[in-house]
Amino acid sequence: MTGLFPSLAAVAGILLAAGALGFFAAGALVPAGRPGERVAWGFLLGLYLLAGFVPVALAAGGRPGWLAFAAAAILVLAASRAARRPAGPEAPPRGVERGRAGVVLVFRAAVAGGVLLYLLRALTEPMWAVDFLAIWGWKGKVIFGARGLPPWTWTTPELAFTHPEYPVGLPLLDAGIAFLLGRWDDHALALLYPAIQVATLLLLVCWLERRGVRRSVALASAAALALFEPLYRAFTTGMAEVPLALLLLAIGVSLVDAVEGDPGANRRLALAALGAAALKNEGLFVAGAAALVALLWRGRPLRRRAGAALAAILPALAAAATQRLRTGPLPLRDFRAGFLLEPGFGGRMALGLRTIATEVLLPAWPLLAALVLLAAAGRRTADARGLLALAALPLFAYAMLPAFCVWGPDWLVRTAFARTSAALAPLLAAALALRLSPVFGRSGESTGSAAGPAA
Amino acid sequence: MRSRRLVALAGYLLLLFSLAAAIRPSELARRARLAIRDSGKDLARRRLDGSSAAFDRRYFFFLESVRRRLPPGTAGVAVLAPSPTVAHHNLTLYAFAPRPALVAPSRIPEGWFLAVYGAGAPDGWRPVASVAGGAVFERAR
Repeated sequence: MTGLFPSLAAVAGILLAAGALGFFAAGALVPAGRPGERVAWGFLLGLYLLAGFVPVALAAGGRPGWLAFAAAAILVLAASRAARRPAGPEAPPRGVERGRAGVVLVFRAAVAGGVLLYLLRALTEPMWAVDFLAIWGWKGKVIFGARGLPPWTWTTPELAFTHPEYPVGLPLLDAGIAFLLGRWDDHALALLYPAIQVATLLLLVCWLERRGVRRSVALASAAALALFEPLYRAFTTGMAEVPLALLLLAIGVSLVDAVEGDPGANRRLALAALGAAALKNEGLFVAGAAALVALLWRGRPLRRRAGAALAAILPALAAAATQRLRTGPLPLRDFRAGFLLEPGFGGRMALGLRTIATEVLLPAWPLLAALVLLAAAGRRTADARGLLALAALPLFAYAMLPAFCVWGPDWLVRTAFARTSAALAPLLAAALALRLSPVFGRSGESTGSAAGPAA
Repeated sequence: MRSRRLVALAGYLLLLFSLAAAIRPSELARRARLAIRDSGKDLARRRLDGSSAAFDRRYFFFLESVRRRLPPGTAGVAVLAPSPTVAHHNLTLYAFAPRPALVAPSRIPEGWFLAVYGAGAPDGWRPVASVAGGAVFERAR
């Protein structure tokens, strides 16, 4: 089949079908009365289904196709129905304020504009980013064409640049869509990324509104995120940052819900942490950070905090262990811990931080100044503090890692710092909206409390 | 509270301004033109027109020509190209997937084909096909 549009329509159909199945299954995750959040979590579940049915079908000796996908979907739906519905005491009615209709309309248009811009950027041409060709897309194409990842993909020394040590969640997702499509189409497949952007925005807005944030503030936050080009651009399309951004937001919001005892929150947290660790190595780190933030959260019962910590870390460890079982131990190609003990380590650290300051932060000063103003204008809330702590830990790691890079600290900063840090944007957007919520008036009773993480 | 609102509004306007600065109408117009012009073409031609082949479009044309000449069951492909860059390595690997493919490997595994970009015939290999921009070889028996 030639031409973009028939393939795009087919990929859209696959994503919609997976999302619809996920929506039904998400009844086991999201309490009733939250349709927007359920759509977002359902989409995420649908992506898990698309990625997950491939290794299951291959392990069973079958061909990953619609039949295997349907079988996997039936199993997931049955498990979802068997699981106890998350229900608890009804949340107090929040009486969501609609905000001024005109303002809401403007922000909605800005959100739509951001989505359309990213659609255009993502779908201009077949995915082309360096890491798509060498890592994510290449592995997906191999899985699709070879019915799995053959050992030569991680044992050939000349292919070390494909990073065999990376998790394969994203390649499995790409391959899963390709199996259902019946061909590898790396142009139509790009539709996945704007779809993930939409799910991220939906989760952000619906969660913020449920937390009592005015609709206009929630939409303003979503509009800024939708227009955030460092994350939603052609270059990131095909790479792991866009899905990671959704998963980091999902971890953050479900963590806040979990320490508050929201029904189903631990399940959502576990699901998001599993996905993050199956997507990128730092997913495991973020899951660990979420566990730490949960444990340090003040004013909540230890049992609840410990439950959230376990929900975050155990599935992530399971994902990391699965990866290790698949390939055996593989070194992190770009990093060497031994630098820490060498005399020049201080210089390496200084070079990394200086490169971040001069080549990333300085050119972005208007953006950073805006974020400082927004943070300063807001008020402290426990939920925002938790989200900011969750974002700060990986940001700190991203700033420290260049000192350990074998290709030089400045190389890693130039090639990765801005891109990887951009994935934290949804968490930051949620935290700032929570801080600004008291300033612009909340839509109803807050479920947040003055208690919060000590971090 | 009023002063906080003013600071927040100033911050948000500055945020929107800095985000809007990344929107370049000329870039968007170029993207729209390319997407519309290429939407009816087959996938390989769209990639040929795109960013991943921009460093050397003739090289991608060569890779695609080689790929179409390889028999089913090909074990792997080694590619020789003058002064290969990271872009050559990445595009070669991706173009031939799921088959293994290496640019200028130190050793070519048994059963692999050799594709030479440009002129030249390596010793110990015999040509099996001439393709755009080069030729495909197999090991001479």
